[in-house]
Amino acid sequence: MKRWYLLMSSLMAALALFMALSLFYDSASSEVPAPEGTIEIVLKSIVGQPMDFWDVVDQGIVDAAREFGVNVEVSGPRFEKEINSQIQILDNIIQKNPPLIILAASDYKKLVESVERASLQGIPIITIDSGVDSDIPISFVATNNVDAGVKAGEEMKRLIDEHDRKQIAIVSHIQETATAIERERGVRSALEGENIIGTWFCDVEQDIAYQITLELLKNPDLGGIVALNEVASLGVARAIRESNSKRDVLVVGFDNAVQELSDLEEGIIQATVVQRPYNMGYLSVKAAADYLKGNDIDPLVDTGSVLITKDNMFERQYQELLFPFSGIK
Amino acid sequence: MKKALSFGTLESRIYTIFTVMIFSAIFVMQLVSFRYTIDTVKSTTIDSNRVVLHQLVSQMDSYIQGMEHISQAVTVDDQIQMFLTTSAEDSGKVEMEDTIQFIRQKLQNYIQAREDISDILLIRMDRFILTSSEDVKINPWTAIQDKDWFIDAVEVGNKTIVSSSYVQNLIWGRYSWVVSLSKGILSKEDGILKGILLVDLKFNRIKDLCQSLVIGQKGYNFILDNEGNYVFHPTQQLVYSNIKSEPLEGIMAMIHSGEIQTYQRDERYYMVETSQLTGWHVVSVIYESDIITEWKSLQLIYTLIGLVLFLIVGLATNKISSGITKPVRKLQEIMQTVETGEFRVVGSIKATDEIRELAREYDIMVGRIRELMDANTREQELKRKSDLKALQAQINPHFLYNTLDSIIWMGEMKQNEKVVQMTSALSKLFRISISKGRDLISIRNELEHVKSYLTIQEMRYQDKFRYEMNMDPEILDMTTLKITLQPLVENAIYHGIKEVDHEGLISISGWLEDDVIVLEVRDNGIGMNEAQLALLVEGLERSDVSAVRLNRQGLGVRNVHERIQLYFGKEYGLVCESSPGVGTCISVRFPASSLEVVF
Repeated sequence: MKRWYLLMSSLMAALALFMALSLFYDSASSEVPAPEGTIEIVLKSIVGQPMDFWDVVDQGIVDAAREFGVNVEVSGPRFEKEINSQIQILDNIIQKNPPLIILAASDYKKLVESVERASLQGIPIITIDSGVDSDIPISFVATNNVDAGVKAGEEMKRLIDEHDRKQIAIVSHIQETATAIERERGVRSALEGENIIGTWFCDVEQDIAYQITLELLKNPDLGGIVALNEVASLGVARAIRESNSKRDVLVVGFDNAVQELSDLEEGIIQATVVQRPYNMGYLSVKAAADYLKGNDIDPLVDTGSVLITKDNMFERQYQELLFPFSGIK
Repeated sequence: MKKALSFGTLESRIYTIFTVMIFSAIFVMQLVSFRYTIDTVKSTTIDSNRVVLHQLVSQMDSYIQGMEHISQAVTVDDQIQMFLTTSAEDSGKVEMEDTIQFIRQKLQNYIQAREDISDILLIRMDRFILTSSEDVKINPWTAIQDKDWFIDAVEVGNKTIVSSSYVQNLIWGRYSWVVSLSKGILSKEDGILKGILLVDLKFNRIKDLCQSLVIGQKGYNFILDNEGNYVFHPTQQLVYSNIKSEPLEGIMAMIHSGEIQTYQRDERYYMVETSQLTGWHVVSVIYESDIITEWKSLQLIYTLIGLVLFLIVGLATNKISSGITKPVRKLQEIMQTVETGEFRVVGSIKATDEIRELAREYDIMVGRIRELMDANTREQELKRKSDLKALQAQINPHFLYNTLDSIIWMGEMKQNEKVVQMTSALSKLFRISISKGRDLISIRNELEHVKSYLTIQEMRYQDKFRYEMNMDPEILDMTTLKITLQPLVENAIYHGIKEVDHEGLISISGWLEDDVIVLEVRDNGIGMNEAQLALLVEGLERSDVSAVRLNRQGLGVRNVHERIQLYFGKEYGLVCESSPGVGTCISVRFPASSLEVVF
C-alpha cells in the first residue's frame, strides 16, 4: 500500500471525526465569533448626573457589550447642546475607521454631512434616541415618540374628563426637533376633540418653561398642561407648586428626573411618560452585534415607553426603570 | 501497484479489514471519550459554581445577620423602651427631648459604624417616626401603614422581617434601593408591642455581591423572593420589558421539589440556593459556551490524536499485512519456477514460523524431486551404456563362422602354420574384445585388435587387399574406446574393397590435433555417391528413423559414433568423406587422455 494512500485515508478519517465531534455541540458551534474591532458609540452627553438619561443608556450599552461579546467605546460632548463638539468627535471617530458607529444625533440636520462621510468610507451607522435627516443609518433605535405622545394625551384626556376646567396647553421643548414634533403629534391625536389652546416652546430651558406656565396659569379655564420633556416638565411643576395651583391645573409630563418623581408623589404632576434608556443602549448594541455577525436587523427598533402615575411608581416592575440601580445611593 | 489495490489479494484484504475495523474502533472510542471529557468538564464547572453560589448565599446571610445583631441591641435598649412607652403628649417635655437626642446619637453611631446601613428608624405605634437625625425629614406623602415591612412586623411581633428589595421613599427627597429589616419592639415589662424598628440596608452591597461572584464571561446571578418575584436581576429592566426572560416556572418547580439539581434551558444552566435567613432564592446562571470555552480546541486536540492514531494504526496494519504476505509472495515466485522446469530452493527466509516451515518443507520436496530426477537420468544412462556394451561385445557371428570355416578348411589342407596363425589372431581378437570388461583401452591394444581382425580377413580374402598403419607413436599409450577401429575397417572391407577388382588398400592412421586424437580409416574401394553418403551421415545422427535402412555395417559405424558421443560428448564422433571410385575415409575424433589406464 502506498504511503500517500495511507496519509490521505487517515486525514479523511480525522476529518470525519472532527465533523462527528461537531455534531455533539451543535448549539455551541453555531455561535458566530464576536466581531473584531471596537464599536464606537457617540452619545449626546457623557458627563451627566448619575441616573441621568445618558448614564442609563451607557449602562445598557455596557451590559449588552458583555453579553454579546463586543468591544465598545463610548464618547460624546459634555453637554447635549454642544452640537459642534459632537460633530468634531464624530469626525475624529470616522478617521479611526471603526466597524460600526452608534450615534445619538444632537441635531437632526447638522450631523448629516458627517454621517454621509462615514457611509462613503463604508462604516455602517445605527442611530439611537434621535436620528438624522438621512436614509443612511441602517437602524434607528429609539422611543416611538408619537406613541409616547399618545400615552400622555390619553392620560390627559382621562384626567380632563373628570375635571371642571377643560382647556389644555402644551409646553414643548424646542421647535423643529423631531422628538418635539412627534410627541406633540401624538398628544394632539389622543386629545382629538378636546380644547387645546396652543403649544409653547421653552427652548430646553427650565426657567422659560416656568415663565410660560406662570403666564398660562393666569387663564382661569386652563385645566391641564402637557409638558413634552424633562426640562419642560420641571419648569411647569415648579410654577404650579409656587403658585399653589396643584388641584386646579393637572400636569402630564415626560421623563423621570428625581424631582419629577417627587412632584409626582406630591401630586403636582399627575403622570409622566417615561422612556426606557437602558433598553435603548442595550438594544442598539444588540442590533450592532447582530449586524456585524451578518444577521438582518430591523430598521426601526421601538424601545417603548411607560406611563407612570403616583399609583404605579413603586410597583416592582417600574422601580428600576424610575430609579436605576446605578444612580441610587 | 495495481495489484495491491485489487481486493483479491491477501494483503489488501487484510489491510482493508484491519483498517476498517480499527478505524471504526478508534472513531467510536474518540467520540465516547470526547463526550465524556465534555461532560466531566461540565459537571466540574457546575460543581465549582455550586460552591461559589453557596459562598454567595452565606456571605449575604452573614451580612444580614450582622444587621440583625444591631436590631437586637436596639430593641432591648432601655432608653428606646422608655421613648416608645411615652405617649404623644409627653414627648414635648424637656427630658424627653434629651432622650430623643440620646437615641438619635445612638442610631447615628450604628449608621456610621456600618456604612452599608442606609437608615435606622423607630416607629412608635402612634405613627410617630423617630429618624436618626433631625435633618432627615419624613416624606409627607407616604403612608407607612401600607408598607409591607410595617404590616408584617406588627403581625409577627418579636421577629425580624426581611423585605424584598425596593425603593424606599420614606425620607423626603431621597429614593434609595434598600432591603429592610423590620422588627416589632415589645415592652420588656408586659411584652406588649410598643413600636417597630426599621433598619434599611443599602441594596448596593447585595447587588455587588451578586455581580462579583459570577462564572464565565456571560454568567450572572439573580435573586428571587419566596413568591418568585425578582429581588435582584442584573438586567431587571430587560426582564420587565420582556426583552429577556428567565424560565421562572421551571426554576420555582425545581426549588419546590427540594432536590439539589441544575435546571437547563437552552444553553443556560440555572442553579439555585435558598437562604434560610431571608427565604431568598439565589439563582446562578452559567452559559454553556462559558462552561466549555475550549470545546473547539478540545475538538481539535481529539481530532489530532485521532489522526495520529489513524496513522500509527495504518502504518502498523500495513506492516503486519505486508509482513504476512511478502514471504508468501516470495514463496509463490519461487514456486512459479517449477513451471519452467527450474527447481529453485527457497533457502532461509524472513517470515513467521509457519511460512518458514512451509518453505522448509517445500525445499525438502524440491530436493527429493531433484534426487529422483538425477536418479532417473543416471538409470537411463546406465541402461544405454549397458545396451551399447552388449552391442560392442557382439562380434558378427557370420564372421566367426566364416573364420572357423576357414580354419577348418586350412586344417584339411594341412596348412598347419596358417591354422595356428589364424587361431591365435582370433584368440587375440576375442581377448582384446573382452578386455576384462573395461570400456577404455590403450590405442596400442586397439591397434592389436584391429591387426588381428585384419590378419584373419587377409587370410580369408587372399591377395584381395593389403593394409598399412601410420600411427603417431605419441598417441599409442593414450586411451580410446575399445572396438572403435574394427567396425570401420569392417565397413571399409565390405563396402569398399570387396566391390572392386583391383587390390585394395586400407590405411589406418592416427595423430594428435591439439588435444583431440584423430584416428582415420581410409580405403580406396568403390566409394559412395552423395546419396549414400548423406544416408550414412544422417544415420549417424538419427538413431531412431533410419535404423531399418542401414545394413549391419552401417549399424556398426553408427554404434561407434554413438559410443564416442556418449563417452566424450556431442562435439566428438565420426566424420565421413567419400567419393565414388576413389574411396571412403572415416575419421574418429575424441579427446586425448593419456591416462593412467595402463595395460
